[in-house]
Amino acid sequence: MSHLSLLRFHIQSSPATFSPRLGTVSLTRQSENTSLEVHTPGLIASTSRGVVPHLSGDHTRASEAIRWVHVPFESFLELSPPLPTLHPGPYPTHACLGFPPTKHILTMSLRDPADDRDMPPNGNEFVSALCLRGVRKVTPDEWRDYVLAAQPDVLVALSDIPFTSGSYSQKRITKSIERSASWLANILRPLPGRHVSAGATPHFPNVLVHMAGGTTPVARQAFSRSLLEPLFDKEAEAIKPLNNLDQGVAGYTFDLAPLHKSLSPTTAHTATKNGPVAAIDLFSAPPAPSVIEQVVSLIRTSLEPLPATKPRFVHSASSPHEILALIRDVGIDLFDAHWAQRAADIGVALDFVFPAPTTGGVSDAAPREIGHNFYDKQYSHDFSSFADTLRSCSAEQDDKRPSCVCMACAPSRPSEPLKHSRLDEAPPLHPPVPYTRAYMHHLLHTHEMAAHTLLTLHNLAVLDTFFAGVRRVLSEQPEIFSQEITRFEQIYDGKLGVLAEARKTWTEVSLARGKGRLAREKEKLKQDTLGTAVELN
Amino acid sequence: MQFEVLATCHTTRARASRMTLSHGVTSLPTFMPVATQAAIKGVTPQQVEGLGITLILNNTYHLNLRPGIGVLREAGGAHRLQGWNHNLLTDSGGFQLVSLNKFTTITEQGAFFASPFTGEPTMLTPEESISIQHAIGADIIMQLDDVVSSLTVGPRVAEAMQRSIRWLDRCIEFHEKSGKRDTQNLFAIVQGGLDPVLRDECLNEMIKRHDKVAGYAIGGLSGGEEKDIFWRIIRQCAEKLPADKPRYSMGIGFAEDLLVCVALGVDMADCVFPTRTARFGVALTFNGPLNLKLGKHAKDFNPIDSTCPCPTCKDGVSRATLHHTATHETAAAHAITLHNLAFQARVMGQARDSIMDGTFPAYLRRFFADYFGDAGYPEWCINALRSVGVDLLDGNPDAKVVKGDGAKWEYSDTA
Ligand SMILES: [Zn+2]
Ligand SMILES: [Zn+2]
Repeated sequence: MSHLSLLRFHIQSSPATFSPRLGTVSLTRQSENTSLEVHTPGLIASTSRGVVPHLSGDHTRASEAIRWVHVPFESFLELSPPLPTLHPGPYPTHACLGFPPTKHILTMSLRDPADDRDMPPNGNEFVSALCLRGVRKVTPDEWRDYVLAAQPDVLVALSDIPFTSGSYSQKRITKSIERSASWLANILRPLPGRHVSAGATPHFPNVLVHMAGGTTPVARQAFSRSLLEPLFDKEAEAIKPLNNLDQGVAGYTFDLAPLHKSLSPTTAHTATKNGPVAAIDLFSAPPAPSVIEQVVSLIRTSLEPLPATKPRFVHSASSPHEILALIRDVGIDLFDAHWAQRAADIGVALDFVFPAPTTGGVSDAAPREIGHNFYDKQYSHDFSSFADTLRSCSAEQDDKRPSCVCMACAPSRPSEPLKHSRLDEAPPLHPPVPYTRAYMHHLLHTHEMAAHTLLTLHNLAVLDTFFAGVRRVLSEQPEIFSQEITRFEQIYDGKLGVLAEARKTWTEVSLARGKGRLAREKEKLKQDTLGTAVELN
Repeated sequence: MQFEVLATCHTTRARASRMTLSHGVTSLPTFMPVATQAAIKGVTPQQVEGLGITLILNNTYHLNLRPGIGVLREAGGAHRLQGWNHNLLTDSGGFQLVSLNKFTTITEQGAFFASPFTGEPTMLTPEESISIQHAIGADIIMQLDDVVSSLTVGPRVAEAMQRSIRWLDRCIEFHEKSGKRDTQNLFAIVQGGLDPVLRDECLNEMIKRHDKVAGYAIGGLSGGEEKDIFWRIIRQCAEKLPADKPRYSMGIGFAEDLLVCVALGVDMADCVFPTRTARFGVALTFNGPLNLKLGKHAKDFNPIDSTCPCPTCKDGVSRATLHHTATHETAAAHAITLHNLAFQARVMGQARDSIMDGTFPAYLRRFFADYFGDAGYPEWCINALRSVGVDLLDGNPDAKVVKGDGAKWEYSDTA
């Protein structure tokens, strides 16, 4: 484990436990002589089967928004031993999945945090995970071995989140807390043969803990407190030299998918004894403002007793509105981009900025959508670039809008073209021209996969620019942050109507391509929470 | 168009040449990837450009349906629509019309079919085809031909061939009047099925139009005919076609087919095969295709081809990783597509260099030994290349030889 280096988190200013904060996460790789920095609040790109959906390696690397990736491990359970644990050389998971260690921080969790489908129950000594070949039981010891071999930069300790139907009894919740704490203790045991030099730890350096307790505030409180309790006897011996579990924890993580599911009364779920078979629900709406409020409150309950100096991660937030609320009311530092990437799957180009635009008389009009459903006919003759709120590479010099640097709005050749014979001449360089909405409309209706590639690159860039806008306000005018959020909420539709519309047209177009096509899309959604089926025809 | 033959092989009929079109230079022989609907599936034009590819193909039939001529005109042509600044070729739409529409009927006026969107009766005439191709704006455009399957026999083959000649004249006339001759280059398509006499008649007539066309395509093949007949027709056509115009063999994409065609005098070819097979998880290599879905690749940490300059191999993406993602993630399709496009370009690039160097016969022998050495040489390739003076078995008389089409394949071990 000589390559594991400590993740450091520096908060520029943090007057209170629950307030928006500006920070920097840094990871120094001595062996590579590089230091990676991610400014917070910021984003983490989601992956499916180890890749950022729709992006080949050159695209992933070229995207400035992708600096940190979250890799669910469960799909690798198809192979025994799992693939990333087998890869030769340093940084095995980075190498295996094509994320250069000089560019990407990589977090690994066992389960896909966006997957909230019913699962067979976990046991005292295992978590039920899902791979193509069905449900797999993973024990805490196995998880420890896997991450020891796979060497992600950051890992999420196993935790017991019930994904079975129905409400949970007091007993079940207590059990969940106990299991999560004991599995965390397991991963914090000292590593075999790890040298404890200055600044290094005898255990895994960057362990995140998922904050257990579900929607029960008392349970969340109890779990947080259990992290701080001094351990005794055998338990203390096991995690020596740590005095309590929290000392070994690098940050706190919250998966919102199960919370949204529990707090949204409309969703009905059927129990499945033999493992999840349902496809991911394409039509689930974003949580209502009241649900977001409850989520904020639950997260605050968990964080309340804990040190405010550690980074806080949120997975599967579902709108910029929810993200802003969590920054303002909790002080969350990092968010996964799952929802924005999912939007790219269904044909939506995001188009929003923070602070919201001040021009154009938007206040009296109906709320703006946060993006465009390029399936819609209105785009078939629209030759403008993807976003109204961001400028493309062909914009006038005096254009004051923030620029979108994605490969759709500012295409660039990846490298010098290959030459295959000495007759080949380097083709002339042309000034880049942004891709148009009309072209996207065409590609979506003809089921061309390149549409999703360009949309993914764009959406990640839009979200990245959004976070940059948040950080700018927090740094330059923190006093207007709250009022800018209110203005953002007034201007942009928090129900994300454009996503609902796009889901509908996406399904229609898939169906129009034939039953087989739609069946393959459904099959894909049974396996992964992101991505679309490969177009075979 | 400027077309300049730079070198001819001392043994075979292969030649290396430089073709200059409105969107730059393409050196020949070359393989053209197919971007049916104005996109090569899963890769961006910048990536295609990065692979050193300078000529791609769009399908007229598809673009006419979507996005339609109106959008193409507003966009300023297909180059602008798809952000492709290099050379582009469009077919006439005739082949797709016949292969995708069951109820197409051919009359002297044109091809009569029901619109797949509205069901309305629609006519694609030679003039209409050229007009659509003008709106698309490709650097090379194809005449509308009367397409019959290569397995058709009887008087229909002769009729289709003769009608293709008449339609060529109509295409030429329409194209000349349009004033687009400087920027768009019309190719004739030689038809005549598998009948050497009909082919000869068609060749004679089309060669008479030599000054009015920019190049010649060999059509009506790759439809399931026997390979032994296929190569003989290619040979007959390539031999007779004038040396000062490019020759384009339509629908050819297997590496062995490409190299045999090049040896017989063909300059250009296109096929969906390398991109399509990529989506099914098959990577092309100089040692034959690899089906990455096979269990034997699950723990193989080698790249597809460590000598390949494509982004996928240069990044060291392993066969094991591709095994994990292929057919599940579009990203895997993209990664293998990039590789397969680079493979096709390398096969043809090495052909160009070896023709320039006078070592093309040696390249052929080396390529076939690497590609088929273990599985066995296809007999038809041996025969075809012998006909132009190259004996693949030279110095290797005990090599395994297989009859039939001999396409090398890794069969699935799962389902
Ligand atoms: Zn963009
Ligand atoms: Zn390659």
